[in-house]
Amino acid sequence: MNVSSAAVRACGLVKTHGQGQSRVRAVDQVDLEVPQGQMLAVMGPSGCGKSTLLHLLGGLERPTDGEVWVAGRRIDTLSERALARMRRRSVGFIFQAFHLVEELSAAENVELPALLAGRSRRQARRRASLLLERVGLADRAWHLPSQLSGGQRQRVAVARALVNEPLVVLADEPTGNLDTTATLEALRIFEELRTAGQTLVIVTHDERVAATADRLVSMRDGMFVDDARLAGSPTRGLGGLIGLEG
Amino acid sequence: MGFIVLIARLVLAGVRRHKVQAAVLLLAVTVATATLALGLPLRGVSDALYEQTRAATAGPDVVALSGDTGPAVTSALASLANEPEVIAHHGPYRIVYADLTTRDSTSSPVVVQGFGETPGAVNRPLLTSGQWVRSGGTVLERGFATALGVSVGDRVTIAGRPYPVVGIAVTAATSIYPWAAQIGPGGGPSDYSGLAWMTRSDARALASSQDLPVALALDVKLRDPATAQAFLDAHRVSTLMVNFHTWQFTAEQDMVILRDTQPILVVGSWLLSFLAITGVAALAAGRTVEQTRRAGLLKAVGAAPGLIATVLLTEYLALALAGDALGLVIARLIAPAIASPTASRIGDAAGPGGATVATATVLAVAVAVLSTLRPTLRAMRTATVTALSATAHQPRHRPWLTALSALLPTPLLLGLRLTARRPGRAVLQACSTATTVIAIVALLTLYAQPERGYGLDGSSALPNLRGEHDRRLMLTVTILLIALAVVNTITLTWTTAMEARANMAIARTLGATPGQIAAGLSTAQLLPSLPGAIIGVPMGIGLLSLFAARNSAEPPSSWLLGAALATLLATAALTALPARLAARRPVAQTLSAETA
Ligand SMILES: Nc1ncnc2c1ncn2[C@@H]1O[C@H](COP(=O)(O)OP(=O)(O)O)[C@@H](O)[C@H]1O
Ligand SMILES: [Mg+2]
Repeated sequence: MNVSSAAVRACGLVKTHGQGQSRVRAVDQVDLEVPQGQMLAVMGPSGCGKSTLLHLLGGLERPTDGEVWVAGRRIDTLSERALARMRRRSVGFIFQAFHLVEELSAAENVELPALLAGRSRRQARRRASLLLERVGLADRAWHLPSQLSGGQRQRVAVARALVNEPLVVLADEPTGNLDTTATLEALRIFEELRTAGQTLVIVTHDERVAATADRLVSMRDGMFVDDARLAGSPTRGLGGLIGLEG
Repeated sequence: MGFIVLIARLVLAGVRRHKVQAAVLLLAVTVATATLALGLPLRGVSDALYEQTRAATAGPDVVALSGDTGPAVTSALASLANEPEVIAHHGPYRIVYADLTTRDSTSSPVVVQGFGETPGAVNRPLLTSGQWVRSGGTVLERGFATALGVSVGDRVTIAGRPYPVVGIAVTAATSIYPWAAQIGPGGGPSDYSGLAWMTRSDARALASSQDLPVALALDVKLRDPATAQAFLDAHRVSTLMVNFHTWQFTAEQDMVILRDTQPILVVGSWLLSFLAITGVAALAAGRTVEQTRRAGLLKAVGAAPGLIATVLLTEYLALALAGDALGLVIARLIAPAIASPTASRIGDAAGPGGATVATATVLAVAVAVLSTLRPTLRAMRTATVTALSATAHQPRHRPWLTALSALLPTPLLLGLRLTARRPGRAVLQACSTATTVIAIVALLTLYAQPERGYGLDGSSALPNLRGEHDRRLMLTVTILLIALAVVNTITLTWTTAMEARANMAIARTLGATPGQIAAGLSTAQLLPSLPGAIIGVPMGIGLLSLFAARNSAEPPSSWLLGAALATLLATAALTALPARLAARRPVAQTLSAETA
């Protein structure tokens, strides 16, 4: 696979937490390449290091060892400031707990990354209303997060993650706090994103979410134990060689 | 019993968990009560020192003085000494008006009193070093000698003649340095003067050698010192130029040097208390969430709603009362130095009176109660169920804020949008800044006053002690105020940072740099400081106008502007540190902590 077509790449990634007796290898020698346009699902039991992996890929945490590349650029050696700039342009995060700014309305939450990225107020506002419409929340734009349901909040978070047209969206159990109806709604949105060619890494417990992905990796104790191309995947490459196709 | 044990245990746990908070409360109350306890009984301390000097020097009850030295005056004074109410007297003695110059050329007006070589029954100056006057040698009054920097063995020149200083002494017959000349030459106005003693013949020789102005004085002791004023009224002679100074008048004159001291200390203590309240309230606000949760827990296990309020209040009251006690002790220790800026008096201050103790204690209790008012009320109101799940409070949407912040650059936007959830805290910060600026305006005003030095012709070779004393006190009060304001600003920034932690972490995931976060936090503190600094200047001027003399000078407006700007810059610098620390916290950890 061509390196330049990889949106995100990790080599020999290691992250340990704590020291001495309580030392945990949250991520242990992970090699990963996510080509552009791929929707990758990461599954595994609780505590196996999925969140840590996602944080490493988005530059929220620094690896103990190994390299992380985003958009063809090595990021694990960047300064905090440069990392922040990288996130603005290239990464969108979605969290299980939504992590919206409680004081800001839905629209303001969506605008925030755009403003941080230096867009004009008008541009930011236009993007925000466009995206809120896309996730079906045009009529809730001026509600505070506390006035929205869980599913609606997560859709605001999705809109916010997309506002700067990031190269990759990193979602950490995005449906973990949602009921069935809201999960189905979220699934529809992820499916749309996949069709639109958005690179996505989704950590999930939910088989239904994983089933919409192009590729599924399983993690255990910080390591990948399985890497499978799913049916209907637009790109078939290395996965076939390893013989783990589902 | 069990209830008290429970409260004591919870209070101790609270203090242990919040050591910094406890220390700040203790120190703030100590400083405020010490200042108040110094300011209130100032007159009492000054009187006590006069009283002790008077007792130690057989101070006269009345001093009769005349700028005229003719035989009529001499006989009038002599007959005064023979009045039946008079049980002892000293004099008449000569007072010579001259100039004194030290070896290092410091010059001052001096009044030289001609005394016997053996002490009389009344007005026996108390030697604090050296020996009493002998032929050719002079004894200097201690306040004067201290201001001149002269000690026993030095030589001084009086009216062109050299004299060795053989002793240093204090007296209660005259007011403190520089008001030793009770009347001026010829009974006219007197200049700032020091006091020196010589033998009678030396004084006579000094006067005649240069034809210097001379006055005559007589010290008398009355059967009943309380009747001094009545004695004076009965013996006023309209035809002769005789002035009478009662001992009460002299004691009162001692207070002149303290004229501005009391306002500085008392108003200073108000401001200090005010800052103590804002600072401690800020600290208490940081505890609100935890406090509310504890309230819920206690209620859930069946404690009465009053318990939590009692615990919090007890903790703060205990600390405030400890600070009160400490403040009173400190005030007691430094009271003589504050009440006696010259070395003209001896003795020690009595302990603070009941009124002072009561006022200081009321102040301490007020600080404790006012700073815990909000969290206490909130804890009492909160229902058990909501309290157990209490995190931060429900935000309110402020459209005007959104509109405003839409116009601002990113850090300002972050500061406003992410931290402006607490208008109360913004008010505290504004008040804290305003108080600092008020104090600085007062200080600058004091420095802007023109003043006459105590040297010859108002030369500042001998500085104006009252001005120096006032400035030193004001400087101390201002430094204390600034110290408290610094603590407040750091506390407020840190509390804000801790509360905005989650939002800051979210902003980081969205691509805000640590620098932007830190700038945002600083901005959140700096914005309310701006109106605080602007209001502080006119408030300072207004407050001063209540106390200042009519002809007092105002500091140039460039100074005032500079003070306000410097305060803002200092605030910006101060908020930078906690803001930077907060901005450097790892994002991932904060986020997962918020999820848990
Ligand atoms: N900040 C941290 N300090 C110490 N250990 C941590 C920290 N974050 C995660 N861990 C540990 O690392 C491992 C992986 O955690 P995480 O990536 O959150 O797992 P997952 O998201 O798969 O549930 C767990 O054992 C967890 O306890
Ligand atoms: Mg996780």
